[in-house]
Amino acid sequence: MRLRPKAFCGLVIGAACMTALAACSSSSSNVPTTGTPENGGVATFAELPATTPNYIFPFTSSAYISVSNTNLFQYLMYRPLFWFGSGASPTLNTSLSLANYPTFSNGGKTVTITLKHYMWSNGTQVTAQNVMFWINMEAAVGQVDYGAYTNFPNPVVTSSKVVSPTELVLTLNKAYNSTWFLYNDLSQITPMPEAWDRTASGPSSCSTDVSDCSAVYKYLNAQSMNLSGYVSSPLWSVVDGPWKLSQFNSDGYVAMVPNKSYSGPVKPHLSEFEELPFTTDAAEYDVLRAPSSSSKIDVGYIPSQDLPAKPANAAVGTNPLAGYSLAPWYQWGISFYTMNEQDTIGDHGAIIKQLYFRQAMAYLMNEQAVIDGPLKGYAFPTVGPVASQPVTQWLSAQLKSGTQFPYDPAKAKSLLTSHGWTVVPGGTTTCTDPSLCGKGITKGSGLSFTFPYVSGLAWVQAELTQLQSNAAALGIKLNLKPEPFNTVVAGYSGNCVVAKIPCNWDMADWGLGWSFAPDYLPTGETLFLCGAIANSGGYCDSSDDAMIDQTLTSSNLSYMYSWENYLSPQLPVEWQPNAPYQITEVTDNLKGVTPQETTLAITPENWYYVK
Amino acid sequence: MALYLVRRLFQAIVVLFLVTLITFALLRAIPGNVAAAVMGPNVYRNPAAIKLFDQTYGFNKPWYSQFLLWLGHLLQGNLGYSWDLNQSVASLLGQRLLKSGILVGIAVILAVLIAVPIGMLQAVRRNKLADHFFNGFSTLFYAMPSFLLGLLLILIFAIKFPIFPAEAPQGLGVGVIFGNFNAMILPIATLTLITIALFSRYSRSAVLDNLTEDYVRTARAKGASQRRVLFRHVMRNSLIPVATLLGLSLPQIFAGALITESVFNYPGMGLLFYQQAQKQDYPTLLGIVVVVALATIIGSLLADIAYAVLDPRVRY
Repeated sequence: MRLRPKAFCGLVIGAACMTALAACSSSSSNVPTTGTPENGGVATFAELPATTPNYIFPFTSSAYISVSNTNLFQYLMYRPLFWFGSGASPTLNTSLSLANYPTFSNGGKTVTITLKHYMWSNGTQVTAQNVMFWINMEAAVGQVDYGAYTNFPNPVVTSSKVVSPTELVLTLNKAYNSTWFLYNDLSQITPMPEAWDRTASGPSSCSTDVSDCSAVYKYLNAQSMNLSGYVSSPLWSVVDGPWKLSQFNSDGYVAMVPNKSYSGPVKPHLSEFEELPFTTDAAEYDVLRAPSSSSKIDVGYIPSQDLPAKPANAAVGTNPLAGYSLAPWYQWGISFYTMNEQDTIGDHGAIIKQLYFRQAMAYLMNEQAVIDGPLKGYAFPTVGPVASQPVTQWLSAQLKSGTQFPYDPAKAKSLLTSHGWTVVPGGTTTCTDPSLCGKGITKGSGLSFTFPYVSGLAWVQAELTQLQSNAAALGIKLNLKPEPFNTVVAGYSGNCVVAKIPCNWDMADWGLGWSFAPDYLPTGETLFLCGAIANSGGYCDSSDDAMIDQTLTSSNLSYMYSWENYLSPQLPVEWQPNAPYQITEVTDNLKGVTPQETTLAITPENWYYVK
Repeated sequence: MALYLVRRLFQAIVVLFLVTLITFALLRAIPGNVAAAVMGPNVYRNPAAIKLFDQTYGFNKPWYSQFLLWLGHLLQGNLGYSWDLNQSVASLLGQRLLKSGILVGIAVILAVLIAVPIGMLQAVRRNKLADHFFNGFSTLFYAMPSFLLGLLLILIFAIKFPIFPAEAPQGLGVGVIFGNFNAMILPIATLTLITIALFSRYSRSAVLDNLTEDYVRTARAKGASQRRVLFRHVMRNSLIPVATLLGLSLPQIFAGALITESVFNYPGMGLLFYQQAQKQDYPTLLGIVVVVALATIIGSLLADIAYAVLDPRVRY
């Protein structure tokens, strides 16, 4: 699970036909189904504003891990061992994976991975040793240098052995939920070619000896800092994905051509694929509206301010651009704002710790109005720790039925008055009966909070202004403070006690929540476990912890359902609508672009022009 | 003059030091964990990464130690490394400065070449149709935000009548600019029109002032033609305020370029500053501050020198 970085500030949009998700074992590749593929042609893809790829090494550190580097750049050249995403479904795609579905034996403690026949572009085979290369590197430097670190392989994997060029056996320290291990740990692996196992002084042995890995990492990281050398590098030109880099500019321009020795199931139809950088979404939209001989976009996005509202029950609304089709691009994740239970301002922490107060705030959030209003119909409500869209096997029947906190100011008021608060509409509601208000709350305490939120996302501002108004009607003062995304993230996104950052803040909203990638199973160990460093509100509950532990060790889905049913009304964070990554505009004669993967990967090898 | 230049150079060093010191202190005053701001909460998976980041970039030291460290690097010509863009600040500025310089340079030259004659024409034709027309013109463009003008030009000349591309030339280096100069017309026009509005008003009032001076009356009494009076005597004196304005308006022109660059998808230095400010990319911000401060100081110095050239009475 990771926070959606700025790259995800895509904008509002997208409705769409989220098809029910297939089970992970029945996934397939996104083979185009319309039109006759015409070989050749160049397709251009617009990058989101100020989010350009700038790091090529797939063992990517926290500073560089992002959709633009990982999903939209590295994955095209260097395929992960297991591919997650089959159109709208964020599940395992066995067809595009480099390995077969792993087998679990010995009571779930032994995992055998068998590789399919894939080749590197330098003519060597993708082997189990290439997988070990990654595992060893993660064991050596992952804790510091890998941005999606999940305590893998240590301490989960106690030993690993390459049995043959195509088979690898891992022994685990105990039996885990096999789906969790596959989706959240094995999902991290990208095989690395032997050609990369080197330092400046020559070949090294990281793939067989962990102690060599630190030096190899330093070398490869340094090579990845040399942006102007990407295309000519003998390292980065060894690929196993469908594309090879043909041009890379440090301003974000990327051109790729088909890897002729790609051994995967879908070979590119296009002769070239380009990614174009843009300074703002308005500049991008100008090019969409006025293509010229020097600039055109085949797959772009429409800014939220230019998007007409979607009629209720329609998949998409009117498209103001002729010659293009609208395709909302949703992501696999949840969205929320944080209330800080570890707040050191007066008794604010004590107030936020009260479940009734968190629930009162939830009743004041009108998710549907936000979706219909500033999000123009292109969004889904967040109802709990598991995303409500796309609907997956992990979503419980209870959460499928929708939010448990529909907008209801009367209920919010009732919760406050029944707990010793005297509600002063338009004023400041105060605690008049501390015995009912809760532990640590003193008589006369008022409900007045500061609320920093991300600037630049119009829908977040509109949502919080609405919440502010709803809260004011019950005497809850929310002092909204717009701040840059990075400032909000820096100050309020970590567990302040564990991360040792100041705890003197009340509520915060960075607008983009969390995406489940590249650990795709929405278990709560990163976000909701007591003391987890990314548990930004500091929510701590032993029942929740025990239930999370069950989801990690048992494949029985009932544990997952019990956990999410329990946690959803606990409101460890306050749920808010989940906005799409972007509303994509696809030129009409380019096919195979949709359905777009909710894991935010792109597969331009599926794209083709029709006459 | 030489002594004056030495004195100005010394002043420039002091100003530069103070500007960077204040900027550095203000940037460090932004609350929150810099590592988390740069890497996102994802970094909380591995707290060791935060520690490493702080050590690598000196964030584990007091801010004044960090400043001295940065200053030491600056004196050695090292502007630092942008952890966000994965490039050295020097290379970023190298790419962007030239691009902004070309855009701003062409726009300013064109603006001066057009604004000064317009100002003179307005002064000569004071309260006549031409004066009212150009007054209206300059008021309109002076009041118009550059983003609005840029969008209007795109709407008219790229979308309604597709004569010019909607975006500026793309790619690295200045070769792409001159290889596709057609795409530079709208961004240059945006910045030029707004700068003309600024300069023509100053030019007009300077010419008007000079036309009432004794030396003009004397020249006319000696039989000098209107053209000779204007171009030989008045124009040179009228350029003094424009020269001052030119030097001191460099920061504003860069600010205007920021918007123009943004509208026309032209990755210049103004835009770089705006984007990296939101990402707390301190090395890049400081690098740009140094460059803009230098440009302002040099602009001011050039204005002073231009005084001496244009007005022989001025001696340093």
